[in-house]
Amino acid sequence: MNPLIPLFVAVPLAGAFLIMILGRFIPFLNRYLAAAVLLFLAFISFWSLLTEGADASVYRVGGWEPVNGVPIGIYMVHDSFSALVLCIISLIGLLSVIYSMSYMAGYTSGDYFYALFCLMTAGMNGVVLSGDIFNIFVFLEISAISSYALVAFGVGKNELEATLKYQVMGAIASFLILFAIGFIYWKAKTLNIADIRVAYEEGHDRSYYLLVQLMLLTGFGVKAAVIPFHAWLPDAHSSAPSPISAMLSGVLIKAVGIYVIIRLFFNMFEITEGISVLITTLGAVSMVVGTFLAIGQWDIKRLLAYSSISQMGYVVMAVGIGMILTARGVKSDVAALAITGGIFHMLNHAAFKGLLFLNAGAIEYSVGTRDLRQMGGLAETMPVTSATSFIGSLSISGIPPFNGFFSKLIIIVAAVMGHFYLLAVLAALVSIITLAYFMKFQRYAFYDRQPGKTVQKIKKVPAPMLFSMIVLALVCLLLSLLALPSLRDAILTPAADLLIDQMKYSSQITGM
Amino acid sequence: MNEPLKLIADTSECLYLQWLIILPLAAGLLLMAVPDRLMLLKGLFALAVSLVAGYLSVVIYTSSPLMTAHGDMARQGCLTFLHSDILGKAGDYLTLTIDGLSKLIVLFISILGCLILLYSLAYNRSVRVKNYYPWFMVTLGCAYGAVLSDNLLLFIIFWGILGITLYKLIPGKDEESSAAAKKTMILIGASDTIMLLGMAILWKMTGSLSIDNISVETTSLLAVTAFLALLVGSFTKAGAFPFHSWVPDYTQGAPATSSALLPASLDKLLGIYFLARITTSLFVMSQGMKLILLIIGVITIITAVMMALMQHNFKRLLGYHAVSQVGYMVVGFGLGSVIGVAAGLFHMINNALYKSGLFLTAGAVERQTGQSEIEELGGLAKAMPVTFAASLIFAMSISGVPPFNGFASKWMIYQGIIDFGTGEGVASSLWIVWLGLAVLGSALTLASFIKFVGGIFLGRADKASSRIKEVPATMWIPMAVLALICIFFGVFATEIVVPRLIAPASGTFFFSGLWSSSFVSLLVAVSIITGVLVYLAAGIKKYRTEDSFIGGERIQDQTAYPTVEFYKTFMEFGFVSRIYRKAENKAFDIYNLSKEAVLWLSDRLSRAHTGVLPGYVLWICAGLVIMLLIMI
Repeated sequence: MNPLIPLFVAVPLAGAFLIMILGRFIPFLNRYLAAAVLLFLAFISFWSLLTEGADASVYRVGGWEPVNGVPIGIYMVHDSFSALVLCIISLIGLLSVIYSMSYMAGYTSGDYFYALFCLMTAGMNGVVLSGDIFNIFVFLEISAISSYALVAFGVGKNELEATLKYQVMGAIASFLILFAIGFIYWKAKTLNIADIRVAYEEGHDRSYYLLVQLMLLTGFGVKAAVIPFHAWLPDAHSSAPSPISAMLSGVLIKAVGIYVIIRLFFNMFEITEGISVLITTLGAVSMVVGTFLAIGQWDIKRLLAYSSISQMGYVVMAVGIGMILTARGVKSDVAALAITGGIFHMLNHAAFKGLLFLNAGAIEYSVGTRDLRQMGGLAETMPVTSATSFIGSLSISGIPPFNGFFSKLIIIVAAVMGHFYLLAVLAALVSIITLAYFMKFQRYAFYDRQPGKTVQKIKKVPAPMLFSMIVLALVCLLLSLLALPSLRDAILTPAADLLIDQMKYSSQITGM
Repeated sequence: MNEPLKLIADTSECLYLQWLIILPLAAGLLLMAVPDRLMLLKGLFALAVSLVAGYLSVVIYTSSPLMTAHGDMARQGCLTFLHSDILGKAGDYLTLTIDGLSKLIVLFISILGCLILLYSLAYNRSVRVKNYYPWFMVTLGCAYGAVLSDNLLLFIIFWGILGITLYKLIPGKDEESSAAAKKTMILIGASDTIMLLGMAILWKMTGSLSIDNISVETTSLLAVTAFLALLVGSFTKAGAFPFHSWVPDYTQGAPATSSALLPASLDKLLGIYFLARITTSLFVMSQGMKLILLIIGVITIITAVMMALMQHNFKRLLGYHAVSQVGYMVVGFGLGSVIGVAAGLFHMINNALYKSGLFLTAGAVERQTGQSEIEELGGLAKAMPVTFAASLIFAMSISGVPPFNGFASKWMIYQGIIDFGTGEGVASSLWIVWLGLAVLGSALTLASFIKFVGGIFLGRADKASSRIKEVPATMWIPMAVLALICIFFGVFATEIVVPRLIAPASGTFFFSGLWSSSFVSLLVAVSIITGVLVYLAAGIKKYRTEDSFIGGERIQDQTAYPTVEFYKTFMEFGFVSRIYRKAENKAFDIYNLSKEAVLWLSDRLSRAHTGVLPGYVLWICAGLVIMLLIMI
């Protein structure tokens, strides 16, 4: 058992409250405390990733032991899949906080900002670690509500409109999720994921659970911004302050959307071919439509936001391919490869999309606009931003030797090996269009200096912002090492195996 | 290529392979840290490193005939990079191999790299590309890597990085060059992704990624798809129709050294190298595939040279020729015979030599005059004699005038086509079409190079040109060396060059009919000398002196004759002019066509996003309901 598990939630929660209380008396405490909290989280998340074995480690809150094999009380589960997500939450969170130290200097109410940031992190960590669906819902709401507030942090007209849409659609999603949880509890008489699985195995009403599955898919689909449930994302992600955009696009949609979908559909329900095909279709549609929406944008952050939809489509599609093959019971090695590719792409996306949003923030900070048509020639005045965003753009477009290349490679190879030729072609096509709009971003932001549109004031980007961007660019490069077979087997494959071996999760937790 | 590969006896030789890749790459990364103020120092360091790499490649070239690094041997001696457990199974992906073909390419990468670097020392003081030398060295390292890697995955990584360096070697400061950079990167990146697809299919079909092990018949639909997908990669890199459209844009916007390095030579060497691997090793071509290659080859030859005829900017003109020449190589490989492969390889080498030479002369002219429009220039022959002589030689080589090297390789291609005509199948029975179009392309090339040489160096010099001087020695030496190689390769083609250089890579073959390049050269020389002797001996004194004529009209005293104008007549034929106008508007450019389609679809989809909240909520509900309806 890993004694650190409760700290993932307790420390940021405590940090949030401490910032609000002590922040009144000690100026500038907020940012350093938040940074300390996230540094600690980063440390323990990587430590847990590297020291934990392949087995899940369970923390029972309050020490409630199972009665007759039935788990009671709250379980927190740390396994090879959640460990990866925890790492990206804390890494991107830490760099965003460091970035915010300069970026948010122009805003008032720093206490609120950092407190909400810690609260959002606590919520995400809670969702990832929870072993029962009701707590997933609770932590989901914690992170969602703090993110509503953070999106509106600029309190301008656009921010408020964006956050309104985000809240309404988020509320619909939460409602559907809560409803589905009620349905499950009615039948299964338990809320623990592992226990629900056991109850599900013992016998279930197909159409009843189908309704539940679809409600959950819709609810978490909204959170993960899967098309057609995506409409809140472009507004919310582009209106938020840039470090928050990096958190939302880089981490939040994964932790409370994709992660939960994968966890529930693999480890709580039995995979059926119908649902798998549905999920794959949703992923493919998101991937294709998202990329076409992105290429028409001239606002940098809207472009990045739509591209998040498209890239999440890759993840969902890859995992969906793995689900289909698992449901059919064929080619389990290809299924594992597809899921590995999906998870790998999810990690990569956190790195490069976080980086690109930070770049966009640096451009907005220094030039004062997000419109690509009003800038140009920034490569000379902002060399670091230019270089790091070039790395980010190439990574997301799947150009070697950066990380995106390897995850897309794995996804395409898995699709071909599993005979999903159409999906492989679509994945390649989307990758090409992705390259096209990131080259558009590069050209209009950093090159093509036209005499008519010289930018008057260019503020120098402060060191903390540069630091975060450089670190993330290095992460983009280093993550490609995960493609090496030995590292992949050590870090990514256990997560995929855990998902493929469907009963493993529940048997580890219930001890049966 | 089909000979069995022997394991290397001496592993120390094998270590050279990895140093050949690591050394330039490391130098490139190191140079990135050095500020651009120390430009000359960086250049000298880069030159030194590339000379070392050149030495290594000569050693490799002259060493044991064939070597590969696979199996246990790989683990012992040739397993490159970090020799530790971290790599584990990754060792299989890092196998390097060398055979006759890759040796040849490595040698010429080194020669061209060193010469262009030498030229850059003076040239790049006037033209600033940020981090020129670092990206140059990375390009060299990756080019070696791509040629030497045996595993397709490793190959595609190096290949992809070459796309990045291509993008980085163009300054992109103004609208034109930034648009060219964007287009280049998108087309190259797109082809890489398509190659990835082909590679994945190959992996699925054969279970292997080693170039040595794969040999697939192009009979099933899957195999054909894989073949075409890989072909797209090779064609885009080399610049063959219809993926060529980045080349003219790039050469127009980029400094001459960048154009000489990548689109003119290294990209050709690599693209055709990969074409050779695809057609001779990875796949066994069926008749249909040969037909596709031949059609693409002749279309490339003719369309690109027609476009070249109407260009005013000489860098863009050269860009179109860089495309057109690829057509000959594609035709050579499309024949599928040994002589075709040999001709394709020989033409690839020749093309790299004279085309990078042409870009270097173009760079010299641009540096000394500040002009890149042919109309603005004229009469530079006296001011820049070496550049003139070199460019004349290159122009005659590219147009296939004996005894220069372009003639030798084109002649081999014609011979290959005639040989091919004796075979069976649709492609063979059309041999006269391929031959006719190839010869026509060569004639048109000559026509457009008269414009290049005549427009820039001949004619009357205007007054401004009196101040123009020859370029410094570090710039004309590389041009002169390339020109001499062009002559040497032409004169001794059948005696030395083909048997020694090309045959080890392609396999042995016989020429049909009697052809000895030295004898032909001798005849050419004798006929010229006879002419001179007749002129001198007969003491022809009775001739009248007249002003120059143009089309029967006496030339005006004040103006230099604009060479470009000659070509306008050709473009004004009714049918041709319509096609030209469309081509000017990029109606045949695959990049523009797909861009328009994508933006149209994007616009449609964006219109659905009205920003009205109830509509969005409706989408969620509709999504849920539709999913329910489908699943129940």
